[in-house]
Amino acid sequence: MSFCLDNYLQKSDNYEILASQAGFKDCAMIIRFKSDEIVKVNPGDEVLGVRVIGIPPIPIGINDEKGTVLIPYTKPCHGTSVVELPIDDEEIEKIRKMNID
Amino acid sequence: MKKVLILLGCPEAPSQTPLAVYASYKLSYLGYDVTIAANPAAIKLLKVSDPEEIYVKNMVNIDKCLNEIKFHDYDLLVGFVHKDAAASFFVTFYHILQTKSIALVFEKNLDLLEEYVNIISENTDAQIIAVKAYHNPTPLKIKFDKVIEEL
Repeated sequence: MSFCLDNYLQKSDNYEILASQAGFKDCAMIIRFKSDEIVKVNPGDEVLGVRVIGIPPIPIGINDEKGTVLIPYTKPCHGTSVVELPIDDEEIEKIRKMNID
Repeated sequence: MKKVLILLGCPEAPSQTPLAVYASYKLSYLGYDVTIAANPAAIKLLKVSDPEEIYVKNMVNIDKCLNEIKFHDYDLLVGFVHKDAAASFFVTFYHILQTKSIALVFEKNLDLLEEYVNIISENTDAQIIAVKAYHNPTPLKIKFDKVIEEL
């Protein structure tokens, strides 16, 4: 079964919120600053089972050694957050293939 | 029948709910099949405002809608933009639908208003209606009427 970020955030506590209730630009900057590798995607592209919301190009961070990704997560009343969560190598490779650069 | 998707942001801005009901009424009158996508809090406000669904007939959860819509599912996108998150949602829906779009940008703080207008204009070809507004829906309503007259 493929990974779903919405379900994961509801059912697991194994993730870190690096920023919350922020603007998208600030969150994009945090992702670029805190990640070893950046994959750029378009708004609406499906990453980890959800369509990513934001301003293009949307950065998705990869920290290979930690086995984590950093992703922006936006809700209408709560602004944008940056979530860092562990995912397996197969999902990381799927994200790498989405790079629009 | 042409289809329009009206995108609502966080419902804390008082102008949004009455304008959403009005936009739904006006676009239905013009022959559009109207769907409003919003979060549960904004949908509750709509349901209380229009209990018999006379003006707002189709409402859908914004997250569900985002995950299901496809290229050209709607002929028109109308989005309420009064927060950074609403601008991000509007740009995202615009990129998926690739359809004619109108952004209703309103804020009481002029710096923020300019910031949201810049986000929309730099990332979409949407027609932008920008108004300094918060409680009073009339300035936005007047400009919205002018734009939809030209549809």
